[in-house]
Amino acid sequence: MVNELPYQRMLQESLKGELRVLNAHLPSEQKPLANLLVEESPNVVCNDGSAHLFKRKELEYLASITSADEQKTLLLPMLIEVNPGQDEMAIICRGEVEEKVVSKILDMPVTTKQRRITVYKPQLAIIRKVLKTTTQYLFSPKILQ
Amino acid sequence: MPQLIKVRPTKIELIKLRRRLSLASRIQKMLKDRLSILIMEFLQIAKETVEAKKEIIDQFSKAYKALSITAGYHGYIALEKELVATERDIEIATGSRNIAGARVPSFELREDEKKGEGYSLVDTSSWLDQTAQLAEKCLEAIVVLAELQSTLEILGKEINRTKRIVNALEYLVIPGLETTIRFLYMKFEERDREEKARLKRVKVLIEQK
Repeated sequence: MVNELPYQRMLQESLKGELRVLNAHLPSEQKPLANLLVEESPNVVCNDGSAHLFKRKELEYLASITSADEQKTLLLPMLIEVNPGQDEMAIICRGEVEEKVVSKILDMPVTTKQRRITVYKPQLAIIRKVLKTTTQYLFSPKILQ
Repeated sequence: MPQLIKVRPTKIELIKLRRRLSLASRIQKMLKDRLSILIMEFLQIAKETVEAKKEIIDQFSKAYKALSITAGYHGYIALEKELVATERDIEIATGSRNIAGARVPSFELREDEKKGEGYSLVDTSSWLDQTAQLAEKCLEAIVVLAELQSTLEILGKEINRTKRIVNALEYLVIPGLETTIRFLYMKFEERDREEKARLKRVKVLIEQK
């Protein structure tokens, strides 16, 4: 009897590949808005070695709604954490700047709990419409458990 | 009816199959989340593409209208003479961005701060200025539409691919693994029963002696 069909092995490998590429697009380091504003072509290097380009218009929009000090603390791209099987997602934030930016875009107050701002899918669509390149999806490690 | 995977009915194979089942379930869960995000982004981009197409048609109709008025005011020969020097290269910043694992292109028209109009402002009318401004807006609209359309295409392909994997996992791989695991359990139970019957028979034979 055949122990493991080549098809099965191939399938298993391709599925493992899917897991590998899941978070490969995440930036290896986040950059402050103030630094990105002075760069000629603002970008960050991702874990897979590719470059993620920021749109200047978006950076300028963010600069217009934040003060000079806040620009130094606002790290980009902002990460949106996707939780398994839930309708809500979370924006990971380190300070109050992200809270300010999100509340400004959504035009409603938001609260931070455990360094995360909870947003729902319709709200996420609004955020992504405004901040296309300055936000990125992060698949929660909980998915992989 | 899910297909049974051909494996040896041993405990080792059962452990392997259970591991494979857990991996397949995890990946299915993750891909479903990814698929929902991709669909949300696709719908958003589709909406924006429609708006961008409307915008481009609007901008071009305005630009052509302004151009015909300018041509009427200056005359074709004079206008062509003025426009000879206005040709210039445009600079577009290109790169890529990532939407839930799908890499899409990103274009941005760079505005040249030193640029001049190229034509004499003294000899021409404000109609030509307006036409030039509208033509620049057309260029911007083209770049925006190019980005949106290629993004839409890439996202569509990615959704299709992910959907096929999710469906294969949901209707083929996971049921197949579950059926095989069930089959192996039944096989082990059957072996246990056989073993018990054999022992009973041996016991009876010993007693008979």
